[in-house]
Amino acid sequence: MTVPAAPQAEGMPSSSPASAVPAVRLREVTRDYRRQRTSMFTPAPVVRALRGVSLDIAQGQRFGIVGESGCGKSTLLRIIAGLDQPTTGSVEIDGTDISRLPERRLGFLRERLQLVFQDPMGSLDPRMKVRDIIAEPLVSQGKRDNLPRVLELLEAVGLQSEAADRYPHQFSGGQRQRISIARALAPDPRILVADEPVSALDVSVRAQVLNLLDELVERLSLTLIFVSHDLSVIRHVCDSVAVMTRGEVVEVGATEQIYQQAEHAYTRALIAAAPRLRTALAGRTAADLAADTLAAKESR
Amino acid sequence: MIGESGSGKSLTALSIMGLLAESLEPFGSVTVTGQDGRHTQVVGTAEGDLAAMRGRDVTMIFQEPMTALNPTMRVGAQVAEVMRIHRTVPDRHTAAARAVELLDKVGLPDPAEAAKAYPHQLSGGQRQRVVVAMALANDPALLICDEPTTALDVTVQALVLDLIVRGVEARNAGMLFITHDLAVVASVCERVLVMYGGRVVEAGDVQQVFTQPRHRYTRGLIGASDLDLTRPDGRLYTIQGSVPSAGALPHGCVFRNRCIHATVECESQPRWEGSGPEDGFACWHPVRVRDAQGVGGS
Ligand SMILES: Nc1ncnc2c1ncn2[C@@H]1O[C@H](COP(=O)(O)OP(=O)(O)O)[C@@H](O)[C@H]1O
Ligand code: SF4
Ligand SMILES: [Mg+2]
Repeated sequence: MTVPAAPQAEGMPSSSPASAVPAVRLREVTRDYRRQRTSMFTPAPVVRALRGVSLDIAQGQRFGIVGESGCGKSTLLRIIAGLDQPTTGSVEIDGTDISRLPERRLGFLRERLQLVFQDPMGSLDPRMKVRDIIAEPLVSQGKRDNLPRVLELLEAVGLQSEAADRYPHQFSGGQRQRISIARALAPDPRILVADEPVSALDVSVRAQVLNLLDELVERLSLTLIFVSHDLSVIRHVCDSVAVMTRGEVVEVGATEQIYQQAEHAYTRALIAAAPRLRTALAGRTAADLAADTLAAKESR
Repeated sequence: MIGESGSGKSLTALSIMGLLAESLEPFGSVTVTGQDGRHTQVVGTAEGDLAAMRGRDVTMIFQEPMTALNPTMRVGAQVAEVMRIHRTVPDRHTAAARAVELLDKVGLPDPAEAAKAYPHQLSGGQRQRVVVAMALANDPALLICDEPTTALDVTVQALVLDLIVRGVEARNAGMLFITHDLAVVASVCERVLVMYGGRVVEAGDVQQVFTQPRHRYTRGLIGASDLDLTRPDGRLYTIQGSVPSAGALPHGCVFRNRCIHATVECESQPRWEGSGPEDGFACWHPVRVRDAQGVGGS
């Protein structure tokens, strides 16, 4: 191994001159949450959700963020999407620092960056027809007569045009995720941020949705930021990955490189712990998974 | 037992325990044989007569540990209680001591102190360890695990899987392990049942089923799960459509409306081909060996 595992921009593949400004640049981002005070005499405890995250995500990159529950993945995404502000540090989207911008000046961000969440049911208004759900980002930009665009988007995500006049509950989980992808693409964003978009789906549907994302990202030349707890999904989708634990990025680089030769003990434990069909059939048991996970955790 | 959500895995588990909802009426038979050789016919036996079997002959671990734990009771007392109810220990004192021993076996640090904790004071992984201790406390003949590690982080999952398998092996118990994750099944099981639409569509040895699937659904499921194997265009293999709800299944072969190999024959229910319920499949047009596409296939 020659490449140092610095959780910094230096480890990233260099971008072409035309896209010298990264899609996302984070510098020393921290986010502290204050918990409810438990006693009148002690100060409210502080949860340090992010502890100095620095990252560059190049234009057109497929960037994965992997880590276990509570490691700060979703907090980081919310900050990148301008839904939350960092306690300290800076967040640049296409070269513009959004970390101190007031809500009313974030309009450009809504055009450039859109989100897809894990639970499509929770993020789709059950009382709205699909056509209105998909058109919502356009309406908030003051656009009218959006039906042609809605039909175009439905086709792009593999749904029939009749879907426009139905309600979210009339669709399966995978179809609902297609609807939320269509809504995210409506304002023609350059950056698509997906937070565990296939974690709630059955495997047969997971494959369909991953293929759809793959195709759309390629066809529309999007920058994709993809958060997952599952490194094998990230490995399939993303060319680069950041590994997070306890509010820190401990390793960042090319996905395949990290998969083959992880530098950090935590990354190695993640890889060792994940059961894989081929190796399991070759005889790797639960005892091996556990032993390798513990050994990786203690390695340095 | 593998299969996507809604295929009937949990209902199968609950019918073994005799825990189906009142609104559901089971047909057929379920026989449970305890470690002492005593048989229980689950279907048709009155609720009160099943109590002795549950928690002793058959125990169950669910995805969410809090479904099995009492939030207002110390965890050591809960482990002791399952032994006291079934009188598998002579007295209170022995039960308490044995509970601490079990908590130690499932890897809780400082088990004597951990026994005094309430569930909310433990992490999700630690709670599931307590549930494993409870499920193994009476040395059951069968441990049913319904997605026991789905809610856990992957590094915790590895340790809990190991714990479950070791506990089952030490007792010479049987295990029915339910999951949608094929790699987990291949890591912990010897035999596999594939469910779809409320039926077992294929059964057999794990190696055999995963490397040479015969049912078209099994083959599709393996293809869609395998993120290391892609089509020539780099995309994943998929199954078209999605799992229909229980009321909307087609007659004949339940997989018919999603299967690219379906013909008119598939409108009638395919026969079970094989040596018995342990090994076989039900498909009119099974995967032939020469175009078999299991793991490592092309
Ligand atoms: N109490 C019930 N009443 C009616 N239908 C039910 C009930 N419980 C489950 N079902 C239906 O039975 C089918 C199988 O469910 P389940 O065993 O929970 O599947 P799995 O565990 O494989 O996800 C599903 O279609 C489900 O909606
Ligand atoms: S019986 Fe027919 S429809 Fe069913 S899986 Fe086999 S080929 Fe497909
Ligand atoms: Mg279930």
